[in-house]
Amino acid sequence: MKPRLRLWLGADWFGPLAIILAASIGITIFDPSFLSPFNLQILMLATAVNVVVAMSQMIIIAVGQMNLAIGAIGGLAAISFAGLMQVWSFPPALAAAAALAIGVTAGLLNGALIASTGISAFIITLASLSVFKGADLGITRAQPFYNIPAEVKALGDTTILGPIPWLALPAALVVAGMWRLLNRQKVGRYILAVGGNASAAELSGVSISRTILWAHGISGFLAALAGVMLVARLQLGQPSIGDDWLILSFAAPVIGGAALSGGHVSVFGTLFGVVIVAVITQALVIFRIDPFFVQVVLGLLILAAVGLNRMREVRFAGA
Amino acid sequence: MTLGLPERAGTARPALPRAASWLLTNEFGLLALIVGFGVAFALGTPGFGSPFNLFTLGRVMAIDIMIGFAMMVVIATGGLNLSVGAIGVCSAMTFGCLSERAGLPLAFAIPGALALGGCLGALNGQLIVRSGLHSFIITLATMSVFFGVMVFVTRAEAFRALPAAISAFGKARYFGYVSPLLIVSAGVGLSLAALYRLTPLGREMLAAGASAPAAELSGVRLGRTYVLCHLLSGVLAGIAALMVVARTGAALPSMAGDLGQDWLLPAFLGPVLGGAALAGGRVSVLGAFLGSALVSEITNGLLQFRVGEFWVQTYLGLLLLIAVLLDLGRRKFLASIGSVAR
Repeated sequence: MKPRLRLWLGADWFGPLAIILAASIGITIFDPSFLSPFNLQILMLATAVNVVVAMSQMIIIAVGQMNLAIGAIGGLAAISFAGLMQVWSFPPALAAAAALAIGVTAGLLNGALIASTGISAFIITLASLSVFKGADLGITRAQPFYNIPAEVKALGDTTILGPIPWLALPAALVVAGMWRLLNRQKVGRYILAVGGNASAAELSGVSISRTILWAHGISGFLAALAGVMLVARLQLGQPSIGDDWLILSFAAPVIGGAALSGGHVSVFGTLFGVVIVAVITQALVIFRIDPFFVQVVLGLLILAAVGLNRMREVRFAGA
Repeated sequence: MTLGLPERAGTARPALPRAASWLLTNEFGLLALIVGFGVAFALGTPGFGSPFNLFTLGRVMAIDIMIGFAMMVVIATGGLNLSVGAIGVCSAMTFGCLSERAGLPLAFAIPGALALGGCLGALNGQLIVRSGLHSFIITLATMSVFFGVMVFVTRAEAFRALPAAISAFGKARYFGYVSPLLIVSAGVGLSLAALYRLTPLGREMLAAGASAPAAELSGVRLGRTYVLCHLLSGVLAGIAALMVVARTGAALPSMAGDLGQDWLLPAFLGPVLGGAALAGGRVSVLGAFLGSALVSEITNGLLQFRVGEFWVQTYLGLLLLIAVLLDLGRRKFLASIGSVAR
């Protein structure tokens, strides 16, 4: 029992989980309505979409890069999903599949450019960010699509059981899938290996460019999925979907203990990172603090998390 | 004007006369593109060459150039500063507060606003040096913090009753179409060129970017150099923001978009088109100037052609992609000449 306890204490997800529990208890003492079913549902809705956003960035952090374009890919997928249903009256399932395909294509395009040219992912995704965002705004002329079919809307605002919303289902599948990918599957191990030490991975026979392609393809898929989920949740195809994903997408994996140099990420740490952000946002609402303050808190959380990760790294290196 | 360590490829062609080697530079390419696009736009649309359009173009150009400079000074050390937009908005709002609410004259309000920009930049630098983390994640975080605090403090309200002198400066025209803002940008560009060419500090910044361990062994104090680069970046972002205030006649919290993200693309476009190495150690002030000028010109021309303001963003993204790909090709080409010569 004892070694297992120590294993837990050292795990990346332990700290964030402890913070969540402490914060929840603290907030509940001040305001018991924090644990009401309605509030829990709001928390889960916010977490469901954001965790997919965070995973989309996490897989790129795992391979040692960054993807500034996830918000733009998500926005493009969202308006394609809504637009295909409204303008060409596609059935929702087909429109969703097309939107996800657009996301995968956009991600693969990023990956192919990075892998084939060796130019930094920062510059490539900064450029593709504005290409995708411009296409999003150009197609919609910055106007939302309003005619979302009833079954899609129902998916966004009904619950499976008690306070658990339907949108939690795809989110849970993504979390489980990512855990399996990174811990049990060859592609996931390759992604971590390339992120940890690209030359060592290449010498062991891992194709770097194929691994980068996989990571960006998965990232594009998840960004598009988050966009589609947001259309269901907001009940409209908003062109501005994805505009505010950037900070959160880095905050959650970093809070979860991810190393920005690549090779080390934690799926459950990232999940709890997203929950921390949701709990804090909710606390600001409950205590009637300006919701704009979330920006400040997010930024400070990133700084605190990278500082702590850094200290842990130094300690481990010394030990 | 490519500064920093001489490239190996450059030494492979010493036989070329100076004038001919200038023709091979990035800066000449940019100048040719600016002239080429200018002629094409002037022939294609009647509006492009009108004095009024040239004046508006000059104002936008001046601001884009300054935003590019704000990023260039941190690229010199191999870093980046995602918070340029957020720092800019904070400076502009500080200016608004000092001159409108506190009633201070411009002679105090402008230095005050720039000092705030410098402080925020220096804070970035301190955090980066103290934590030893990459500037990407630190400035991503501070971008959120700075912008959040700004919105919290100002309650997202604009300052619109600014002194008339500041908007008069934005509206002034010399010779019918030259904006004084453009002269400010040119002046700052000359100062930066002097910094990198003539002063030990500028050389130290480039040396720290080219190879930090080598610079440290030669006695460059790395931490101090990084902090100074970020401080300079903050001041330049502040100047750019005050130029936006002069152009619009108001200090708006939304002037650089959410979190100041709208400044990111122009900030990188100019220096990257201008031939700055993102790994650090090599920047070209003239290149960044011309790069930003080309971007503003293309944006203006595309709008004159009525491609729709939304698609312009797509074209600018493609332009950045093409620019980095061409640069890659150019360097491979020069390297292949070099290997033949050796």
